[in-house]
Amino acid sequence: MEFHSTPGEYDAINYVPHTESHGTKELWKTFWLLLGITILDFVIYFVMGQSGIRNVIFILFGLVKAYYIVGAFMHMKNEKVNLAMIIIVPTVFIFGLIWVMLYEGGAITDLHTHDVNKVQTEVHK
Amino acid sequence: MSNHSEAAFEKQPMWAGGRSPFNISYGKLMMWIFLLSDAFTFSSLLVQYGAQRFSNVQTAVTTKWPDPASIFNHFPLMHGFHLPLLFVSVMTFILILSSVTMVLAVEAGHRNSKKEVQRYMFYTIIGGVAFLSCQAWEWVTFIHEGARLDGNTFGITKEGYDHLHSVSFGSHFEWDKAVDRTNGPVPFAALFFIVTGFHGFHVFSGVVINVIIYIMTARGVFERRGHYEMIEKAGLYWHFVDLVWVFVFTFFYLI
Repeated sequence: MEFHSTPGEYDAINYVPHTESHGTKELWKTFWLLLGITILDFVIYFVMGQSGIRNVIFILFGLVKAYYIVGAFMHMKNEKVNLAMIIIVPTVFIFGLIWVMLYEGGAITDLHTHDVNKVQTEVHK
Repeated sequence: MSNHSEAAFEKQPMWAGGRSPFNISYGKLMMWIFLLSDAFTFSSLLVQYGAQRFSNVQTAVTTKWPDPASIFNHFPLMHGFHLPLLFVSVMTFILILSSVTMVLAVEAGHRNSKKEVQRYMFYTIIGGVAFLSCQAWEWVTFIHEGARLDGNTFGITKEGYDHLHSVSFGSHFEWDKAVDRTNGPVPFAALFFIVTGFHGFHVFSGVVINVIIYIMTARGVFERRGHYEMIEKAGLYWHFVDLVWVFVFTFFYLI
């Protein structure tokens, strides 16, 4: 084999990692950000009444928190793009499943309420 | 590593084998893959939760899905007061804090500072144990109120719904007025126990892993190895547990 990397340096099994510190400044910034969003969650919970908009806000805040945890704490920002893609892209499909199952759940509620007209209209559409 | 060998390496084809196209170690890559599969596990549980919740919306015939504010409104030593979301926010804070100490341990590992790694790992373990203790208290309270894996005593009556929305934060809460003990959607309690239990078990595993890593650090295993990458792998797992909690917090308590 004409592959000439130094053993222990480049092959995946015996890889010796870089030991480079990026400092703690960004980490603390991320901490305050996560704490701030959580406090904002708390405030919005009491200030706004329960509504669809409030739920959307909570989910968006959750995704923002997820971005900072994965990006800064798990150092995904420093990894190669192709690694980030194989990890993040498959999770996007989960949102499709959530959408479908919420719709199906709502349909079951309609059946329970014997809202026959609505169910039939849905069927005949 | 020398620049020379790096330059020679960059000429090798990316996908021809013999190198990691992702430029990370085998262990870290496998941890990422494991976390991806774990993400699907938790997603399936949360999707179940969403589907059950949407199929139990209150109508003339079906019972309403209980409002989390009427159930998770306890705080230690503050019995009988309406304090929704407060305790679980404290739990979230503990977990975020332990995430920070974990990432500080990783950073200290990059500088090969054994003493600091040890100190921050210790803080992280304390955070994990504190979180588990909080969760145990919450489970005990919930079970004490009558929730079971196969039964739910938290139905919401019309009067209960009105009472819930008339009590202000911190005032006295009349349980018997607010909750219909005979009638509640069973999946609510079941999914609460399964999802938070599954997450709690992950936290527990994380604490065990962190204790092992702490002992290994103290005994100088990583110092002799020359790098602290094991801290990074444990850190990835620990942050994932924090990440899952973000969504459990959102879907079980906020929405």
